[in-house]
Amino acid sequence: MIFQLSLILPNALSLIFAKGERGDLYISLGLFVFLILLGLIVGGMIERRHLADIRVRSEALRSMLVTDLKSFPLADAAQTSSALFVGEVAITGDYLKNFLAVLRNIFGGNIRSFESLLTRARDEARLRVMEQAARQGYNAICNLRYETADVAGRSEGGKNKLIAVAVIASATAYHAKA
Amino acid sequence: MIIVNTETIPGYRIVRLLGIVQGNTVRAKHLGRDIAAGLKNLVGGELKGYTELLTESRREAMARMMAQAEQLGGNAILNVRFSTSAVTSGAAELYAYGTAAQVEPEAV
Repeated sequence: MIFQLSLILPNALSLIFAKGERGDLYISLGLFVFLILLGLIVGGMIERRHLADIRVRSEALRSMLVTDLKSFPLADAAQTSSALFVGEVAITGDYLKNFLAVLRNIFGGNIRSFESLLTRARDEARLRVMEQAARQGYNAICNLRYETADVAGRSEGGKNKLIAVAVIASATAYHAKA
Repeated sequence: MIIVNTETIPGYRIVRLLGIVQGNTVRAKHLGRDIAAGLKNLVGGELKGYTELLTESRREAMARMMAQAEQLGGNAILNVRFSTSAVTSGAAELYAYGTAAQVEPEAV
């Protein structure tokens, strides 16, 4: 919806402040630059804060054994309870990242900003699984699996494609020998 | 009911396998229409409302799967897997499936 807004807003602004053809162009350009800067600055801040938060929570759960093995490595034979835990998160990119999606269609190649977005989503989902397991008293998880879905609908007539991913992580928690 | 995404449960023995059980939910996924998500698209970050929607979908799908397993007389579901697919009408399906089984604690 906001992309429809970014199409309507310049027209609305130019109706009010119309200084002819040039005025239209400057307003559209100005809005575009503002949104890019917003994405760059505020979006960057939000991303960095999230990454720091992920780092802190990973440190707290450093002692938990996390594997994608199916064989319950180091399982404690005395404690036989186990349970499935699922964590999910939906994350979207900022205006800058979404704009880079358009550039990708022209230039192709590796987009590091997307890689960081997906890594963030996966780390967050995995941490949620680990935290749920830790809260129930487990100290190990195995068979960690990820499932990714693209959850961005196409905004009608929008010139920017949205980047939004949902990641579901699941794993089986059990008790490992200390 | 014990639910795991591995093929075995430590300390338990499989008595009988009862076949595949499944549950699914379909949710509309149009982010573009959601105002809060629209604002989030400017600065990025987690879409908390959408995450909650996903959690609800997942719980519902798993509940349906557990109900099927109970109906078959099982007390455990093994090797649970999730799958998502995009339905052309702009919706996404979350599908959970696993193998229902009767398990009993292993004699030590």
